[in-house]
Amino acid sequence: MKISFFSKMAWRNIKSNRKLYIPYSISSVLSVALFQMMASLMTNDFVRQRSSTLPTLFGMGTVVIGLFSVIFIFYVNSFLMKRRKKEIGLYSVLGLEKRHVAHILVIENIMVSGLSILAGILVGVLFGRLSFLFLNYLLNLPNAVGYSTSWGMTGVTALLFIGIFTLTLLYNIAQVTFSNPIRLLKGGKEGEKEPKSSPILFVIGVLSLGAGYYISLTIDNPISAISQFFIAVLLVIIGTYLLFTTGSIVILKALKRNKAFYYRPGPFISISGMLYRMKQHAVGLANISILSVMVIIAVSTTITLYAGTEETLNNRFPEENNLSIMTDDEMNSRELKSAIQTVQGDLNELSSDEGYTMTDQYFFRYVTLWGEMEGQTLAFKDFQGVSEIPLMVLIMPVDDYNRLAEDPVTLRGDELLYYAPDPDLERESLTLFDKAFDLKQINNMPGVMNGMSQLIDPILLVTPDDSTLDTIRAQYNSELAEYPVTLSADFFWSLESSQNSMAYASFIHEELRENDYPIGLFYESRDGNREEWYSTNGGFLFIGIFLGGLFTIGAVLITYYKQISEGYEDRERIQIMQKVGLDKETTRQATHSQILWMFTLPILTAALHTAFAYPIVQKLLLLFGITSNTLFLLTTIGVVMGYSLIYWIIYRITSKLYLNIVE
Amino acid sequence: MTFIDVKHLKKVYTSKLGSKGTEALKDVNFSVEKGEFISVMGESGSGKTTLLNILSTLDSATEGEVYLDDQPLSSIKDKKVSRFRREQLGFIFQDFNLLDNFTLKDNILLPLVLSRKAVDEMETALQPLVERLGIAHLLNNYPYEVSGGQKQRAAVARALITQPKVILADEPTGALDSKSSQNLMEILSDVHQNGQTIVMVTHSARAASYSSRVLFIRDGQVYHELYRGDKEPDAFIDSISKSLLVSSKGRV
Repeated sequence: MKISFFSKMAWRNIKSNRKLYIPYSISSVLSVALFQMMASLMTNDFVRQRSSTLPTLFGMGTVVIGLFSVIFIFYVNSFLMKRRKKEIGLYSVLGLEKRHVAHILVIENIMVSGLSILAGILVGVLFGRLSFLFLNYLLNLPNAVGYSTSWGMTGVTALLFIGIFTLTLLYNIAQVTFSNPIRLLKGGKEGEKEPKSSPILFVIGVLSLGAGYYISLTIDNPISAISQFFIAVLLVIIGTYLLFTTGSIVILKALKRNKAFYYRPGPFISISGMLYRMKQHAVGLANISILSVMVIIAVSTTITLYAGTEETLNNRFPEENNLSIMTDDEMNSRELKSAIQTVQGDLNELSSDEGYTMTDQYFFRYVTLWGEMEGQTLAFKDFQGVSEIPLMVLIMPVDDYNRLAEDPVTLRGDELLYYAPDPDLERESLTLFDKAFDLKQINNMPGVMNGMSQLIDPILLVTPDDSTLDTIRAQYNSELAEYPVTLSADFFWSLESSQNSMAYASFIHEELRENDYPIGLFYESRDGNREEWYSTNGGFLFIGIFLGGLFTIGAVLITYYKQISEGYEDRERIQIMQKVGLDKETTRQATHSQILWMFTLPILTAALHTAFAYPIVQKLLLLFGITSNTLFLLTTIGVVMGYSLIYWIIYRITSKLYLNIVE
Repeated sequence: MTFIDVKHLKKVYTSKLGSKGTEALKDVNFSVEKGEFISVMGESGSGKTTLLNILSTLDSATEGEVYLDDQPLSSIKDKKVSRFRREQLGFIFQDFNLLDNFTLKDNILLPLVLSRKAVDEMETALQPLVERLGIAHLLNNYPYEVSGGQKQRAAVARALITQPKVILADEPTGALDSKSSQNLMEILSDVHQNGQTIVMVTHSARAASYSSRVLFIRDGQVYHELYRGDKEPDAFIDSISKSLLVSSKGRV
């Protein structure tokens, strides 16, 4: 009997407060759905099979979304409770005991949160499936990416949100219990205090953001970019939160001090309005900014990866057919040359027997050493367990260089051709193992070697003859006997364009599987790799767009809720001002400029972050073989513009909601 | 010289469904001289708040007209009405209607800011006013940091700063304790001595006793009025209370 009374009451409360509960439920449902989809991605087959780092990455993403959910639901709940305090105070005045009120709150919470969790999971499952279907159709990838709902993760989702909703319930009950009815009655009107600005936090924010930007701008090789990237991201996130919470207040207060500017209708209303609620809303704005950067980076990098697949293939495979050759310690460059020539002869014979014609054949031999520049001396040592990244030194004989380069060179016996990746490394002469060489500078590596030089920019040394190369290698091996280096070589060729490269590739694979050459052979064909690369990069694109969609929904959710809650807060203020003579037009102008600021600030911040993230992300893309700057630049600009457009549409819709509430 | 002239004012509230409306004002006639301090008294539902809303252009009459300084209020165009309210009228409300996001200073300056006055002009208008009202030391405080009486004095300052033709006060002492009420009424009385026209709606006979004339309104009509003349304040309260008593008896 009593239970049914309280449930009826709870249900009536929800119904009569539906203006507040509808946005609240929408927000809860979407938060649950977002988390559910993100968590399911972690156990997705595609993600697990492609790379071991992806599940970890999505694990981190899931934790971030989880934290967002906690913050967001508390924010949404505090707004709801503030509006309802009066009603709850009235219950106490009318004679309901606190435990009765708590009882009603519990039932309300069970109803709303239970429905939200169920609906959220349903939306997550359905939307996840539908969006995967849609994306598969849209992208038309060679291999469709499958969606699997992970019931384990769904359980985690349910538990997490039961936890969050229970916490908000406890918080609400505590608020009712520790407050008296009179204060509750006034609760909705209680003024928020003007926020204090902390210069120390502001400075920390500036430093943190600056450090993050600095890392991105000064990063010079992709290997360190991986580890530095997360540090930079963390610094920028901290900086963004601090600057939004403290910086906005500092700036607004400075504007307020400028009397000639402040005491005009538009700024007067909007600055005071923004300052008044900044404490609460700065976090929301920072969230929107960070989500926006995530959308932009996720989408633009994966589009670049996918669109740049052909470039990646060309960099990795200079010609259609690629044979990597490995030797043992014993073999010198002359022996290697003759071994390659034997293989080349055999391959030509086999190919023509099958009716294929090999074209554009060339090979080059090289050795890779790790060293350190000490003045005019290139010193070699054991870099095992040393944190600094050593200099990569590629050495090849001049005959092989001339086969690759456009302009052939001749070298004297004490002369080396030299390419320095960095102006700091440019030298006139160089000493290797106590022998001094004069250097002849070149400005570019041969194009064929792009694939070797994209991760670490190496030094290239070209020796005047084969024996100089052998001598250097021998000296290196005798000094660092533990890690002997061996000669390597790459052999490239193409086919006449009419011939079927795929069939040819499997034929060569078969032929080279068992052989008795003195050298190790590893054959790859460009066309054979194409499908795999497209499917992998397509999968990345897929996930990038999916994540972009999730983060966009998150950003929309926050802006939507912000506008609605601010609308309710501002309504009374605007009405008072209209009573003392504020006209409709000025109201519109002031609220428009206020909304506009609240909207442009996050998108501008996101654009700025993206601009500063550009160098480091570009370095990371090198790891995937994307060397073209223009592709990434154009994609990023396109994505920023596209996202701004979406954001602008959201702005139009939500500001209309806001104005409807206010007027 | 007649300053405000209220002629045959009628206000009917119609609900959306019913064709028959509620008559809040039946036929109200009175006039106010320049520099008069008028109190309007009546029971709840007598139509006094409706009357004040029409005087303050927040609501419009169904029939009849209000002239302020010979200008009919209904002739003011919608676009100009905010400006009119801002520049010609000053408001004092029962619940103060101060904005929590402004300091008292900014609350007081609000109408001037909306009129796009220059900053130094605002400051010169502000200073003597707040000193007179005894809130000069509170200018940088926020409304939630000061007492009810101080809030209402800030609201009075906001009403006065534009040097309006009329001050319209809606139960200004309604939310104040007796001491603050007395203080506020002394201030209003002082403002009145300086030549300000005031129209105040109130329940309180004590508050009404500060005015120069009291109008009694019942069932949408002015049915009685009392002039203070040169009565002592206590004597004036007595006659007001008697009139109120008669009015409620007459009803029962």
